[in-house]
Formats: sequence, C-alpha cells, structure tokens
Amino acid sequence: MFYFPQLSSGATGQFPITRQRSARTVVNQSCQGYQVKLADPGAAITSWHLSFEEMSDEELAALEALFQAVGGRLTPFTFLDPVDNLLAWSEQQNQAVWQADPLLTLTGGVADPMGGTSAYQVSNPTAATLTLQQSINAPASLDYCLSLYARSDQSPQVWLVRGSATEARAISPQWTRLISFGQLQDTADSISFGIALDPNTTVDIFGIQVEAQIAASLYKQTFETGGVYPNARFQDDTLTFTTVGPSRYSCEVDIVNVEYL
Amino acid sequence: MFPTLKTGAVMQYPAKRTLQFNTDAIRFLDGTEQRFRDNPSVLHQWTIQLDLLDESELAAFDRFFVSNQGRFGSFSFTDPWDGTVYPNCSLAADTFGFQLRGEMRGKTKLIVSENRT
Repeated sequence: MFYFPQLSSGATGQFPITRQRSARTVVNQSCQGYQVKLADPGAAITSWHLSFEEMSDEELAALEALFQAVGGRLTPFTFLDPVDNLLAWSEQQNQAVWQADPLLTLTGGVADPMGGTSAYQVSNPTAATLTLQQSINAPASLDYCLSLYARSDQSPQVWLVRGSATEARAISPQWTRLISFGQLQDTADSISFGIALDPNTTVDIFGIQVEAQIAASLYKQTFETGGVYPNARFQDDTLTFTTVGPSRYSCEVDIVNVEYL
Repeated sequence: MFPTLKTGAVMQYPAKRTLQFNTDAIRFLDGTEQRFRDNPSVLHQWTIQLDLLDESELAAFDRFFVSNQGRFGSFSFTDPWDGTVYPNCSLAADTFGFQLRGEMRGKTKLIVSENRT
C-alpha cells in the first residue's frame, strides 16, 4: 500500500495548504437566459497544493521514495487530507460506517456543546465492555490524533480506542474534549478509532474526529466521506526540490484525487 | 441554505454585488440603433470574499459546494444589502477552493448568481 508520508513532526502538510474541489456541470443556456443543467458527479476532482519548507534528509527521502515508487502520476496512493476529519459521518453514529457492538444502544438528538442537538447518547447496559468504532483504510503505523467531546452524569471515565491502543480519559457532567494521540507499531493497512464503555455506563459524545497528526485541531463535521483519499495521485510527473543548506530542503507538491480514474 | 459565518454574517468587506441586464443592440448603416432586451429583468450576482475563517466555517462552505454539486444545485440567497430573498440562485463556478494559512486563518471566495426563473 502506497501512502503519502508524514513529516517527522507527525504532520502531513505545512501551512499554507490549499484545497480545491471541482465539479462538472453541463449547462445549456437559452438566449432568454434560462438554463438547463446536468450534473456529472463522477467527474468530481479534489486537489491539494502543499508547500514544504525546512525538510530534513529523511523527510525528503520519504517523499522522493513515494514519488519513485508510484512512478510520478501513474499509480495512486492513499492521501490523508491534512485539513479534514478522517472519519465519515462524524455526527451520525447510526450510519453503517460505525461498528457498534451488539446491545450497545445509541440515541441521537442529544444537546451538544456547540448549542445544537447533534450529540449521541451511548449506553452500555451489559456487564461487559462494549465499543463503538469506525475503521479507515489508512496505514496503522502513522501518527494519529483522536478527539471527541464527552460528558456523563454517572460514569467517571470513557475509553478512547486508537487502533490497538485503548486509553482511559476522565469525564464529568460538563462537556470535555478528550484527546488520544500517538503512533503504533502496527503495519496493518487499516486502523479503527472510537470509544469503549465500561459496563452499565452511559456517555454523551459529540464531534468525534481523527487527524493524521499529533494534536487536535478545531472540529470539522463530515458526512458520507471523510478525509481519506485512497485514489490520490501526484498531479505532475516531475518532483522538484530546492536545497537551501545542509539537510534543509523546500518543495512544492500538487496532489489530485480523481474518482473516475 | 447558504452558510453563514459564526458571527451570523454572510459576507465580509470588500463585498461586491453586480446587476446585469442583457441588451441586444443592432446598429444600422446610417448609424441609428435599435435596442431590445433579451432577458425580461435584471439578474443579480454577489462576490463573497471571506478571510480569517476557522476550519468549521470552511467545512460548512465545502459541504455546501459538494451538496450543490458545484453550479448544478439551486438555493435561496438573502441579499445582505437589503434583505431581499432571491429564491433561485446557484454557485457561479464548478470549483471551490480555500487556503489555510494557519489555524483559524482560512481564506476563500464564492460567487452566487441569481438564476432566471
């Protein structure tokens, strides 16, 4: 599995980052100004422009190795959007992408910390620990940061599941943003994120987010797709970098994700 | 619904509104002209330039673009100048991009066009 490498800081990109989405609409316009439009959703394109400064030898070598391995723009690789939430349906835990253990109950429409009603109440009425997880098709060996808002009137803690790592976090009746980050010694091509509930506990959760970096940024709501792009490619057949000193490189990369290829 | 910023505003300065007629002009050999309207009424267009947005505001605009499939979809837009609601508007372009210069420092631009109904 080819994937875009992270920097030694754990980040995928550096600021400024530019992302552009393109759609294709066929428009037939009459001379009176009326329009008949036809959408072509299969032609959607997402592209990124990444600028890197002060890259080290190792960081440049990793980028160059990927470029050579995929043959420039020939072969796709997995790209984790540095400005998006990697999970899909971040506010709809009843969607099929979320795998809830049997007997775990989910109730939507709960008041959330942003003033809306998009939080979910998750209850574990059993005597065993139950989990709610989502799996993404991305290398388990990268740095990830899982974050979510949680509260509970009766449970003192909730477990954050980040692949094979499960970490307890204290919660209270007030909404608290919980964070679990790090890198796993795991070579799998997919990784799961979610929560685990102790027996006979109920927890309200909101804004679950995963990013391929070591710290949480502002929460971003997602819908049918998250920020995992398994069909990304380099936009060009050339990769140019500038050496500005010993082990100091700068580079600009354009990446494009085209669904119909 | 067209997304609003966290402040409740739709646009930031500098904001631009364009009014467009579509007039045909036929010029004769003697220099006189005959003019007539192709379209029955004026159409409006708003250029919305936004800066210093946070990631969730950018995500809302991104979602709006994706759900509209670019310029295919239509929506109602409230003119921030006078509060008039234009019920049939579309995005003017099939592309939407933003630049993030740092945390909570996003910049983007959209153009909303009124459709002929």
